[in-house]
Amino acid sequence: MGWMSIEDPPFPDPPLPRGTGQAVLPPVELDLAPSEQVRLLYSLSDPALSELELDDFLNELLARVQEALSVDTVAILLFDEASQQLVARAARGLEEEVDRGVRIPIGRGFAGRIAAERVAIFIADVDHADILNPILRRRGIRSLLGIPLIVEGSLIGVLHVGSLSPREFGQTDLAVLQVAASRAAPGIERAQLVSALRHEQRVAMVLQRSLLPKNLVETAGVRVGARYVPASDGVGGDWYDMFELDGGRLGIAIGDVVGHGVRAASLMGQLRTALQAYALQGSEPGRVLALVDRFVQSLPEFAMATAAYAVLEPDTGRVELASAGHLPPLVVGGENPRVVELTPAPPLGAFPYGHCTELEMTLSPGETLVFYTDGLIERPGIPLTHSIDAMLELLAQETMVEDLCQLAIQQLVPVAGLRDDVALIAIQNTQVPDELVLDLPAEPRVLSEVRRALRRWLRHRGADREQAAEITLAVNEACANAVEHAYSPAPARFTVHAQTRDDGAVTVTVRDSGRWRAPRGEHRGRGLTIIKTVMDEVQTNRTPLGTEVIMRKRLRP
Amino acid sequence: MNLGDVRFAQHAGVLLAELTGEIDMSNAESIRQAIVETTSNQEAGLVVDLSALQYLDSAGIQLLFRLREQLRTRGQGLALVIPADSASNDALRLAGVTPHLDTFQTREEALGSVSPAG
Repeated sequence: MGWMSIEDPPFPDPPLPRGTGQAVLPPVELDLAPSEQVRLLYSLSDPALSELELDDFLNELLARVQEALSVDTVAILLFDEASQQLVARAARGLEEEVDRGVRIPIGRGFAGRIAAERVAIFIADVDHADILNPILRRRGIRSLLGIPLIVEGSLIGVLHVGSLSPREFGQTDLAVLQVAASRAAPGIERAQLVSALRHEQRVAMVLQRSLLPKNLVETAGVRVGARYVPASDGVGGDWYDMFELDGGRLGIAIGDVVGHGVRAASLMGQLRTALQAYALQGSEPGRVLALVDRFVQSLPEFAMATAAYAVLEPDTGRVELASAGHLPPLVVGGENPRVVELTPAPPLGAFPYGHCTELEMTLSPGETLVFYTDGLIERPGIPLTHSIDAMLELLAQETMVEDLCQLAIQQLVPVAGLRDDVALIAIQNTQVPDELVLDLPAEPRVLSEVRRALRRWLRHRGADREQAAEITLAVNEACANAVEHAYSPAPARFTVHAQTRDDGAVTVTVRDSGRWRAPRGEHRGRGLTIIKTVMDEVQTNRTPLGTEVIMRKRLRP
Repeated sequence: MNLGDVRFAQHAGVLLAELTGEIDMSNAESIRQAIVETTSNQEAGLVVDLSALQYLDSAGIQLLFRLREQLRTRGQGLALVIPADSASNDALRLAGVTPHLDTFQTREEALGSVSPAG
């Protein structure tokens, strides 16, 4: 871009009337000579620009105006209706104006008068004019030309150009500026809307992201994977959730609020919280969904959502499941990949007295239960049942939850993007090892993990509930002893090793690196009493390296 | 969620503490403190309901003995609700301490045993 000499204009340009101070100009009607610069200004109404956000659009406009008029400064002030002020929004050569957030009251100064009277104004010599904004003077601007930006009779702002040397702007300059203003004004308005919309979407995205659990619960016997993919045109109301319940059970939820945008996202947050709150009260899945349904009914605005909620007991793989109009989950990764058949039930909020489907099932070790929302499989012209079957076929042999999530998203989400958002959560009842080996830091908080892992292992080795509970209690006492006596300069650890013998006896060995100390007081004594009462045989080996407690118990046939 | 939890209620001069979840070495001390801090001197006694508790071990048993000791110095009684089929009952039985604690099958019996009128 070059500085075009005014002594050598490309074509003669009759000067604008000047006078002292501000000269109000009537609009000019002038056919502009076709040139690259003028073409660029006309193309400001190009639909390709309409997708730009406001700042990008304004920067494009300013660049083209500066190029076309060979001016030192270009600035746009937008009308802020709330404050009845012009706010500097974008500038070239005059960036300070924007950085400082200059505000000009309507009716005052150069730009304020352009806005109030909706006229073009030319200032030949800034020194002799009423200029409100000191930045213009400080920048050394000598001449200014500005015009209002108007869309369908409404003022949206002011566009002005300036020269650092005294410049006689001509009729053609004004005509060029008029073209720029008339072509750009609707674009600015549209870009403002786009920006507002994108802002709303961003708010919704942030809201939604922050509502999804950051860390999925990891607990003995269970592996979990999940994905959320927003729709290409914004946000939706899909969610997944997972939380611990008492007794080592896990709650897994998925849902889909009907609708899009901020409202759907915020409603999703409410339903997700409501579901978890009801679930933590210890209710059955069917009861939990009935309560969420009542909650949806109580909302001031009509709302509808599908949801499924399941409780998994890792000890046994038992699953209690309830669904309110949600798509049937899949069971994959085992010998019998299947769609969990559900009798249809209405969505939450659909009827004053809704009901949901309830089901009990068992996940065999290695099997994965997969919940998803319709965005993942809904394709125009393809029946849902076909899509579900195709998904089952795709995932049937997957034995790793992470791979499963990866595969589902890669294969099922169209490259062109999603029309609807997608939530996916997969929970696996992991294989039970023949021998249980745990190596843990010697800290009280790990004891519950040991109990969970051991109880699950014992149940799968044939112990009944009562026997599993008793052996777990005894082994916990040995572990508590190891934690209490942890004595090591480095962070201490202890190990638990459980195996079965051919005769059906279980052997559990707890080893620590602590120095053996005789049980102190009644408290530890009670722990030892528990171990001795429960187990058939207890053997304690003390070595300089640590202590080893070997416990044996024959399981009831 | 918390491994174990305690909820309080007032029953005519007796404080009722209901334990849920699991109590082990990691939380027994903080639960004992919560109970002691909530039991005011005005209380005639305390009832701890362990019916819904899913796990109790020697750390939890220790909690009960210490609690009883602390209340005794303030002249307050302690009654435990431990039904025969509860996890807590198994732990007390296996540790051989059942005869040393005042246990009741129902909340009503336990409340009656420590209430000012009773």
